[in-house]
Amino acid sequence: MVLDISVFKDAIVFSSLLTLLTIGLTLTYLTTKVPNFAHGSIATVGIYVALILTKLLGLNIYLGLLPSFMLGGLVAILQYIVVLRPLSKRNASITTMMVATISFEFLLLSGLNILADYLSRSFLILSRYFLLKNFDFFFMGERGVLFISPILVIAITLGLFLLLTKTKFGVAMRATIENPPLAGTVGINADLVYIVSWFIAGGLAGLAGCLLPLWFIGNPDTGSFILISIFAAAVTGGLYNIYGAIIGGYVVGFAEIGLIRFMATLPDPFGAWIIGYRPVIPLLAMVITLMLAPSGITGIDLKRIMRRFGRK
Amino acid sequence: MLSGESLFMLDLIATFAPYMIITLSLNLEYGFGGVPNFGKTLAVAGGAFMVGYLPGRILAGMMGVGQGMDYVAQNAQIITEINNRLVFNVPLSLGILLITLAAVILFGAFLGLLVTVPVARLRTDYLAMTFLAAGEVILVIGNNYPPLVGGTLGIGVPDPFGWASTFSVLGLSPGEMRNVAVTLFMAITAIIVFLYAQKLTHSPLGRVLRAIRDDENSALALGKDVTRNRLEVIIFASAIAAIGGALYAFYTANVISTAYSRVSWTFWPWVMVMLGGAANNLGVVCGTFIFVAVRKLIIFYKDIFGPFIPFDVVWLDMLLLGAALVFILLYKPEGLLPEKPIKTIKVGGPPPSKRETPEETPSSQASGKKKVGFKLPFKLKVRKK
Repeated sequence: MVLDISVFKDAIVFSSLLTLLTIGLTLTYLTTKVPNFAHGSIATVGIYVALILTKLLGLNIYLGLLPSFMLGGLVAILQYIVVLRPLSKRNASITTMMVATISFEFLLLSGLNILADYLSRSFLILSRYFLLKNFDFFFMGERGVLFISPILVIAITLGLFLLLTKTKFGVAMRATIENPPLAGTVGINADLVYIVSWFIAGGLAGLAGCLLPLWFIGNPDTGSFILISIFAAAVTGGLYNIYGAIIGGYVVGFAEIGLIRFMATLPDPFGAWIIGYRPVIPLLAMVITLMLAPSGITGIDLKRIMRRFGRK
Repeated sequence: MLSGESLFMLDLIATFAPYMIITLSLNLEYGFGGVPNFGKTLAVAGGAFMVGYLPGRILAGMMGVGQGMDYVAQNAQIITEINNRLVFNVPLSLGILLITLAAVILFGAFLGLLVTVPVARLRTDYLAMTFLAAGEVILVIGNNYPPLVGGTLGIGVPDPFGWASTFSVLGLSPGEMRNVAVTLFMAITAIIVFLYAQKLTHSPLGRVLRAIRDDENSALALGKDVTRNRLEVIIFASAIAAIGGALYAFYTANVISTAYSRVSWTFWPWVMVMLGGAANNLGVVCGTFIFVAVRKLIIFYKDIFGPFIPFDVVWLDMLLLGAALVFILLYKPEGLLPEKPIKTIKVGGPPPSKRETPEETPSSQASGKKKVGFKLPFKLKVRKK
C-alpha cells in the first residue's frame, strides 16, 4: 500500500518536462490561436540532439541544452514562417491551420525517423527506444535531472515573468496577444513578436526533449505520444494563461504518474493492470476540465463562486 | 490464377474501399459540418474491435465450438473450427455478417455520442484536442484489455466469405475467390455509402451543416440548434467510419489493436480529404483513390529503389505525403475538386435555374401554377427617406 518514493521522483521529472512543453504550447496558442500538433515532435528534435551529443560526440548531455534550445526554436520558426504565416495571412480557418500543423508533424516525424535509421545504419548506435541515464551526473545520491528539471521550470517561469512584465519587448508581446491590430497601430511589429514567441516555444520544447532521455525512453514518436498530455495540461491549466500551463503541467503530470501508480497499489478491483491505462488520464483531465471549467484552472472565477456560496 | 497486375488492382480496391468509407464520413464531419475530428481512429478501431469481439463469440456459442476453452487464448483453434463449418453455410455466413455490421453501426454511433456529448458545445480547437485524446484511448484499451481483441497479440475473425472459395469462376484459385468476394462486397458497400452521403449532404441537414460551418452565429440566429446538428453529424459519421473499420477487419481476417494507429486512420484520411477537396463527395473519393494508389505504388516498387536510400522507404512515403499536404494547403486549399453549390431535391416543376421568377400577379395564381416563394402574414412597411 505504501507509495514508493521513486513514483514521486518519476512524477517530478515528468511533470517538469511536461510543464516546459506546455508553456511553449500555450505561448504559441496565445499568439497564433492554433493548437500546434507538431509541438511534441519539436521536443523529439531535442531528444536526438542529446543522443548525437552523448553517443556520437561523447560530450556531456547538459551541453546539449543550448543547442537543443536553438534547434527547437529554429524548427518552430520554420513551422511558423513556412506553414502557418501564409495561411493566417489568408485568414484560413482554425481547422485548416490545425491540419497544417499536422502536415508539419508528418515532415518532422519522417525526418526524425530517417535520422534514426541513418544513425543506426551508419554509426551503429542504438537510435530507437534508448535511455541515456548513464550520461547523467549524481548529486546527493540522486540523478542530476531530478534537480535540474524543476530548477529549469522555476528559472524559466521567472525569466518569462520578467520578460513579460519588465522589458519593453515583453509588454509589446502582451499587447500583441491582447489585440494584434491595435498593437500594430502603436508601431509594434506583430510579426516579430510572433516569431519570437514561436522561437521561445520551440526552444522550451527542445530543452524538455534534451532532458527527457535521461529519465524516460526516447524514440522518434515519443513526442507525438506526449502531445496528448501536453494538450490536456494546457487545457486543464487554461489555454489563455501562460502561468496556467505551469499549474496544468504539474496537475496532469502528477495525475498521470502518481495517481495511476497509487491506484496500482490498491487491492481489487484496482491493481497492477491499471498501469497500462495511463493515457486515459489526460483525456479524463481534459473532459472534466471542459465540462466543469472550460477556461481551465486559472480561468475559474473564485469571487463568483464565493458569492454564489454566500447567497445560500 | 490472377496475374500480378490484377492482384495489384484487387489489393488496391480492397484498401481503397474502406478508406473511401472513412473519408466520406470525415467529409460529412469536416467538409460539411466543420467538425475537426482528429480522432477518426476512435470510430474505425471501434468498428474493427466489434468485429474482433462479437461474431466469433456468437458463432462459437451457436455451434457449440470451443466449450470449456478460453476464447482469446485458444482463439486460432476456435476460429479454424468455426471457419470449417461456416464454409458450407452461406445463409449463416451472410447472417452473421449483417448482424455484425448492424452492431458495428450502433457501436460506432455510441462512441461518437460518448465523446461528443461533453464537448459538443465547445469551440473547434477544444473539440479537436478531445477527439485526438479519445482516439488514443480506444487503442490503449485494445492493447491492455485482452478479452476485447486479444491485446497486443491480436485476435482472429471468423470469415463470412469463406463460402466463396468453394466455387471457382474464371479459373481463380479458392483463396483468390474469397478475396474477390470480400473486395466486391466492400466496393458495393462503399458505393452505397457514397450514395447515402450524396443524399445526406443534399438534404436539409446538409444545408444546415454548411450554414453552421460557415457562420455559427447566423445559423443560431435563424433558430438552428447548432450543438444538436453537430452531434447528429458526428454520430452519423462515426457509425459510417465504424463500417469502414469493420470491413477492413473482415478483409484482413484478424484484428490487432496496434494496426489502428493515429497516423494510418486519422491523419491519412485527413490528407485524402484535403487532397480531394473538402465538402465535395466526389472530390474526396478522387483524393482517396490518388492517395491510396500512390502509397500502393511506392510499396510495390519499394524493392527497386530501396537499396539506394539509407533508411526505410516508409519514411520517404510519409515525407512526400507531408510535403504534398503542405503544398495543397498553401497553393490549392480547396482541393482537386472544389466545393460546389448544393443541388436541392426537386419537388416538382423545372429545376431552379429554369424556373421563372415568381410573380405576385393574379394571373399566375389563376393559371393554377404552384406558387413559389412565401407570403408574409403581415404587411411590410417600407419607410422612405
